Amino acid sequence: MRRGLTTTIALALMLEASGGRAQQSPAFSSRIEAVRVDVLVTDNGQPVRGLKPGDFEVIDNGVPQVVDLVSFDEVPLNVILALDMSDSVAGDRLEQLRGAGGGVLAALKKGDQAALVSFSHVVQLGAGLTSDVASVQAALGDAQSSGQTALVDGTYAGIMVGESDAGRALLIVFSDGVDTSSWLRADAVLDAAKRADVVVYGVSVVSRLKPEFLRELTSLTGGRLFEIDKTANLASTFLGILDEFRHRYLVSYTPKGVAKDGWHKLDVRVRNRRAAIKARPGYLAGS
Amino acid sequence: MTARLGLPAVWCACLLGAGPAAAGQLRAPGPGAQPPIIEQVGTGRIERLERWLKATARHAPGEDDESLAEIAGWSNAWLKELWIDANALIQTTRSLTMNRLTVRPEGQRVGTQIRYASPQLHRLRVLACAAGGALVEAECTAMGAGDELDPELRTLAELSHAAKRRGDDNYTIRRGAILHADVAMLAPASMVAPGDVTRPTGGLERFRMEISDGQEIDLRQSAVHWELARMLLDFVRPRGKDRADPGHDEMVRQWYRATAAWMQLHEDHDKLHLDRARAIFPDDPDILFLSACQRETYAGLPIQAAVRSAILPTGVVLDVGSERVELRVAEAMFRRVLELRPGYGEARMRYGRVLGGLGKHAEAAVELRRAAGDLTDSQSLYYASLFLGAEEEALGNRDAARVAYEQAASLSPMAQSPLLALSQLARRYGDRNGALRAIERLFALRAEDREADDDPWWWYYVAQARDAEDLLETMWRPYRAERLQ
Repeated sequence: MRRGLTTTIALALMLEASGGRAQQSPAFSSRIEAVRVDVLVTDNGQPVRGLKPGDFEVIDNGVPQVVDLVSFDEVPLNVILALDMSDSVAGDRLEQLRGAGGGVLAALKKGDQAALVSFSHVVQLGAGLTSDVASVQAALGDAQSSGQTALVDGTYAGIMVGESDAGRALLIVFSDGVDTSSWLRADAVLDAAKRADVVVYGVSVVSRLKPEFLRELTSLTGGRLFEIDKTANLASTFLGILDEFRHRYLVSYTPKGVAKDGWHKLDVRVRNRRAAIKARPGYLAGS
Repeated sequence: MTARLGLPAVWCACLLGAGPAAAGQLRAPGPGAQPPIIEQVGTGRIERLERWLKATARHAPGEDDESLAEIAGWSNAWLKELWIDANALIQTTRSLTMNRLTVRPEGQRVGTQIRYASPQLHRLRVLACAAGGALVEAECTAMGAGDELDPELRTLAELSHAAKRRGDDNYTIRRGAILHADVAMLAPASMVAPGDVTRPTGGLERFRMEISDGQEIDLRQSAVHWELARMLLDFVRPRGKDRADPGHDEMVRQWYRATAAWMQLHEDHDKLHLDRARAIFPDDPDILFLSACQRETYAGLPIQAAVRSAILPTGVVLDVGSERVELRVAEAMFRRVLELRPGYGEARMRYGRVLGGLGKHAEAAVELRRAAGDLTDSQSLYYASLFLGAEEEALGNRDAARVAYEQAASLSPMAQSPLLALSQLARRYGDRNGALRAIERLFALRAEDREADDDPWWWYYVAQARDAEDLLETMWRPYRAERLQ
């Protein structure tokens, strides 16, 4: 991480170039015991700015904690796109998906990184985390749709890309279908998400099947699920996600008086004002 | 295999109940009612039956020839009438003077009596003399059947008679079944029958739902070729028997096994087909194995998702239970297969997976370890290792799970599932770096080297039918020579 709360130890593991394109390898890091929570604070739907550490009240398994640091719109982002490239994403929809992903990449700021995971039944790293946004853009342009949908496998790969770097990770998962070919079980990936510092936003095209996996995953990680009727306006949905994520606070504290492992229920509040809070409901410690 | 992944799967939906019957259609009887009667058999039906009879004798098994194209072009209404008339024809070959002809479609408890007009019945008997190879028999000579046949039908009669002399009195039956199966397999477009799916009329009706990537994309009436073939084979009279007994006929067994395997290979599922096969061959391990595989497939993600999303017309139901129900049926069937053939490694491997799906992890692990000892092909060993990894993981045996997943990865080095499993296993135990190393192995698989069938897991639900083409070839071969040229 370039700024902030964790110590990064780059290991000499390289992500091999996919599709012949040179990529920057993600750095695998170790972490200190600090807990980070991405928090969206809104009042009448508008982000609340200017909050300081003392404005936040964090309760970890019922024990009030001292917030060490709060960052707002200043910590670079790692934006991972995990995009459904199965058979059903073809023609206009594929172009709209490429456009939406491209829009997010174009809106990244200096210091931000991006990555692309595409999935049909095949999960592929189109581009590893890199600040070379153009290479991610090119990988997005190269991605072709075919095959079945391994949503759970693809999402897990996206989470792990987020985990491969200590930066503040936003995972945007798009799927227009249901999982038909994953090996991993949804509950195992939800478990992995509880252990990860990755906020997942899901975008699902409305169908007769409810997107239960994405709903649970986004809820568990403090993100949000967008169910859209059609993909014509996918670009604005994706940009809206990025904008919302930039307006979140990154709240950090060092847990005290709580167990070092197991599930920790989190309750985040803002003192002395009415506000709507969106944050992950807990985390799995010791992992 | 690769192409199969992108192809829509199809399965047959069964009609429950009966709607109002239109004139001339087969009417479903009410409770306690007498068998309904079709008062009139439409003109032209016996002529079509004659064309059909010639097509069965001309068709080269396994080939998309003119005879197949002719029958493939018939409407479903004609096929439903053929179902009745071919049934009546075969009954007449068995008893030429039979006056009361009754037919009973699959799934109906009460038969339907068919009344042909006198000239129709006479022609039916003449055709029966030919189909049954009985021109020289007293009843046929008495009615002068030979004089009423054209040269082609006389040759057909000779072929049928020659088969009979060799002890096989089933020439038309077998060739008819092969023809209709070939239409279904080689001319799949003909299986889609135009018709209103929102207003089923009852009787012999079948629907097919086409699904792609777990979602329904189409629901159509289905042509009744498979029903025709099954009906014909029910009449098979094995060598040395004086009554129909298809359960003791090797060709019938081969036909069901090969066609069921073809259906599974092409993800063209029809539960009725294997239900009938099991009714005829209740203790055949190959038929039971395919039945169990079908039910395991029904419990899988693609079909369960499609079932949940399907919108069906009133009166139409899908013959698919919940995941748990299908797994339990598959469990019982696999167990029976293994009682009959204990060394059947692939069945044991799948049995182990089904047990795991039902939460019986300890039993599953035992079966999967034993299966691995019986298996020799790397694909089945891959499955056994992958599934064993999952069961060891469920039992909390982290090291054993890792070893099994690594074994799977070594058997299929380009497969992604074992690498995802290894990563997830490490993450589950708090080993973040181990999880990253495993996912790195997946990401390191070069895109240009990867193929859509790299991971056998992706075609697990069709892998059991990989020998379908060989099975069909074996079944077709004896019938290639004995045909009209």
